[in-house]
Amino acid sequence: MAGSSPTRRRSFQFASPQSSSVIAEILSEDRNSESRHKQLLELAKREHERVREDAERVYRDHLRREERQRLLDEKRQEEQRIKVEEQIAADRVRLHALKLTKVEAPPSPPTPRFPEPSRAAAVAESTTPAPTSTPSAVSNQSSVPQPPPQTNGSATPKPPAPATTFSPGLFGSSKAQPTTQPAAPGPPIDTTAATAKNRTPEAPRPPSFPGGFGNLLNNGAGSNRASSARPESAPPAGQLTVDRYTTIHKNLKELRNSMAEQAKTNSALKERMGDMRREIRKIIGQLGGGGAPANRQQQQRIAAVLREALTNRVQSQLVDPSNFVAEPRNPVQGAVHNDAQLPSLFIYLLNAFSKSVILQFIGEGGARPETADPIGVCVAATFSEPDFGWRGVSMIDILVAKFRIVCPVLFGYRGSEKTEQGRERLGWWKENGRWVTEQQHMDRMTGLGAGFAAVSLRKFAASKKKNPYPPRHFWTAMAKIINTPPNEISNTQCVVLKSMIQNYEAKFIEFYGTAAVAALRASLIDFPARAPEKSPAVNSLEVLAQQFKRDIGLALG
Amino acid sequence: MADQASRTTLPPAAAAGDTEAPVAEAKGAPGLVESNYDVEVKFSALQNDIDSPLSSLHSFEELGLPKPINDGLLAMNFKKPSKIQEKALPLMMGNPPRNMIAQSQSGTGKTAAFVLTVLSRVDLTQPTQPQALVLAPSRELARQIQGVTQTIGQFCENLIVEAAIPGSISRDTGVKGSVVVGTPGTVIDLIRRRQFDVSKLQVLVIDEADNMLDQQGMGEQCNRVKTMIPNSTQILLFSATFPEKVKAYAQRYAPNANEIQLKQQDLTVKGISQMYMDCPDEQKKYDVLCKLYGLMTIGSSVIFVRAWYRRESADEIKKRMEADGHKVSVLHGGNEGADRDALLDDFRSSRSKVLITTNVLARGIDVSSVSMVINYDIPMKGFGDKEPDAETYLHRIGRTGRFGRVGVSISFVYDRKSFNALTQIANVYGIDLIQLSPDDWDLTEKKVQDVIKSSRAKPDYAPNVLA
Repeated sequence: MAGSSPTRRRSFQFASPQSSSVIAEILSEDRNSESRHKQLLELAKREHERVREDAERVYRDHLRREERQRLLDEKRQEEQRIKVEEQIAADRVRLHALKLTKVEAPPSPPTPRFPEPSRAAAVAESTTPAPTSTPSAVSNQSSVPQPPPQTNGSATPKPPAPATTFSPGLFGSSKAQPTTQPAAPGPPIDTTAATAKNRTPEAPRPPSFPGGFGNLLNNGAGSNRASSARPESAPPAGQLTVDRYTTIHKNLKELRNSMAEQAKTNSALKERMGDMRREIRKIIGQLGGGGAPANRQQQQRIAAVLREALTNRVQSQLVDPSNFVAEPRNPVQGAVHNDAQLPSLFIYLLNAFSKSVILQFIGEGGARPETADPIGVCVAATFSEPDFGWRGVSMIDILVAKFRIVCPVLFGYRGSEKTEQGRERLGWWKENGRWVTEQQHMDRMTGLGAGFAAVSLRKFAASKKKNPYPPRHFWTAMAKIINTPPNEISNTQCVVLKSMIQNYEAKFIEFYGTAAVAALRASLIDFPARAPEKSPAVNSLEVLAQQFKRDIGLALG
Repeated sequence: MADQASRTTLPPAAAAGDTEAPVAEAKGAPGLVESNYDVEVKFSALQNDIDSPLSSLHSFEELGLPKPINDGLLAMNFKKPSKIQEKALPLMMGNPPRNMIAQSQSGTGKTAAFVLTVLSRVDLTQPTQPQALVLAPSRELARQIQGVTQTIGQFCENLIVEAAIPGSISRDTGVKGSVVVGTPGTVIDLIRRRQFDVSKLQVLVIDEADNMLDQQGMGEQCNRVKTMIPNSTQILLFSATFPEKVKAYAQRYAPNANEIQLKQQDLTVKGISQMYMDCPDEQKKYDVLCKLYGLMTIGSSVIFVRAWYRRESADEIKKRMEADGHKVSVLHGGNEGADRDALLDDFRSSRSKVLITTNVLARGIDVSSVSMVINYDIPMKGFGDKEPDAETYLHRIGRTGRFGRVGVSISFVYDRKSFNALTQIANVYGIDLIQLSPDDWDLTEKKVQDVIKSSRAKPDYAPNVLA
């Protein structure tokens, strides 16, 4: 309006309500007199003012409406924020309750102390029974030891300390999106990479900006909340799950003893058991290069042995599989096995399979890490078979329990290579009471690191089966190693880290995209740079970065 | 799961590690020390492998290797020098250059030792001028050494390593590399045709030297090579075995040499569990063979058969093993060069995990994941195979137990002759062979497991190095 010209006659005439009288005046005699001219000017001025006022009123109205809208928006945002905070608070309370919760030890076969005292030290049985928040746990109790004072690798027990892991600043910030809630749809924006992974285990999304990754690196606690906040499926707490693995490992030893006992009275079992065990061991040794097709026959034969055990023709005793899984399970619709018991021979052979896999990683992968890959394929294929699972979930915890014992640094345990206890925490093996040589130890770690990657970086996108050990476990293990404070960095960790990465950089990047590149930089550049002592093991991480640059053009530095 | 990360990242040592106890507190017990603080491991316990041929108190960096070479070693996961490397490298790399005769057990890093010397002597600003020559008895070994040199030298710019073996050097260009690895016959041809300029040669290495200098034909060829190269060339002789009769000749071939030698009883690698299987008769050997693979964790394996056996017997073994699910390669001297290369590459890359071969591959071949060697036939030598061949036995079983790893060797005996031959070999080296029987596989499995455990736990021995 301000731009239009009220002095132009035509527009004036049409815009003005008094147009008819104006025409009459124009037609009158004195239309060219000065007074007439002044009068017209006056009229025009008034009209101009009227229009202007109108415009200003409309404009003010508009501003008011905008302001009101803004207030409404703000109010809605505030309400949203309050809702989010309430949910977070509730989750926190729930988490706290979970952390205080200990599942009662089962009355399962009386367990002698860990047969190898030097390794497993004191695995204290839990003595604090408490109901868990998940109803399943009540009916299906399983033993979870308290953080043991000294298990192989289990460092100084760290009781979960929620107070230290929560940083209210993060929560209170108005930026907090409702991404920590499982119900909220849409991609996480302001959360850590780990959260993103937890959300979509099969097709992990890289975080949308690198800050998310940095968050994970510098403040591992960041990822804590997100996953624990999920009410379902979340493990009670990381520490509990990890130490649950030592219990599973112990239970497996007992199972082995029990099988030997059974064989004394059950001759049919005795006849088959050894042959089946040796058959599995032999087949795992046959797995070789040439891709999955070259190993299909081996894969099928392992499956055939395990299926024979499931039929339990030799009548081995039945056992409760819950003693060999990390989390309590309820029957689920559609699962092949929902019963409370499975043939002990089947579990025993899964154990023999896992043991052979680990020994193959150590023996063969230690010398040539690339040989671990076909074994990883076989592990994934075997444990993902629906009929080898129980209540809809795989039994891979049996294998993970073995990893936990022989390679604790994958689970975040640390120690000094110069002390007895440090070596125990690091999984430095003893044979006949003596530490194995440094060369042997580092070989073992090389094979196990490569083996862990071979198991955890498997692609199931094109498969109908469910990945028994999705890539987030790889990420977690890597994060645990590179989150080590500088003064506690050990050669063992460097060796494991290197062999986890070497030959697996492409798969890792395929899963995690730019976040993987950032993680590789953190592993191969930042982590060795932080190490106080530049040992060959530390330097070899940097050399790996050089190799990536030379061979695949991946510049991390 | 991610929450485990943060939970466990809290420093355990913050609580426990502040008060590291002195060694005396450890009660001398090798097992668990019941205390709530961390105890330093005794020096002697940490260094319990101090006398092993793989132990060393020094790093490669301390040996003064240039950074690119050191980086190459790190890329190969070499972290510390072995004893032979630690002892021999300063002697070989010193100036003025001196000759060397070096003996060390199989799988203790001899190849890396001379490759490091070669790389440190090569002037990389003249990349096509031959400056180092390595001679090996077989094309497989020559290719392997070429590969090791390239791998250790992967960060050395302009390093060209050529293999002088039949069919690999172009007739048009001749030898255009600073390092040449070859078999003696081809090398002599190339020098004669003036396609290999040896005028700037700094160093000559003869690997498997006892075999190379002794063997009829090859000994003569090595002599010829020596007359063709400059007098000033440094000569390095390496082998796991140096029988007396070759030793004197070696000393003439490499005059005024530094020597590193082992006593006869120190020659066997203690990490290799040596066993023998009592087979009821020759035909049963096939079935027994297949059963062995379930007894222990096996990576790759090598089955040695008598040379004259090669076609019928080796193929029969292959057939039986493939029926049992194994992936098998058969390699013998009768194969063409390119076929041999392809077969061995399959084995190196684990596309096949069982290699059936004759003595062609007894020496030097290093596939680090080989964890079992089978002497399907006891090695014999002499006219009519009358005499047991102890050296070949040693080299054969040395294909496993590489660099301190677990290895087993199982020799098949089925009659008096084979039993006597094996006994004689065992006496030469003072080996305590363990008997296995094919009757109760549960028991045999247990026995094998125990043997592997105990042979690893044996305190390592002092090689008694004479410098």
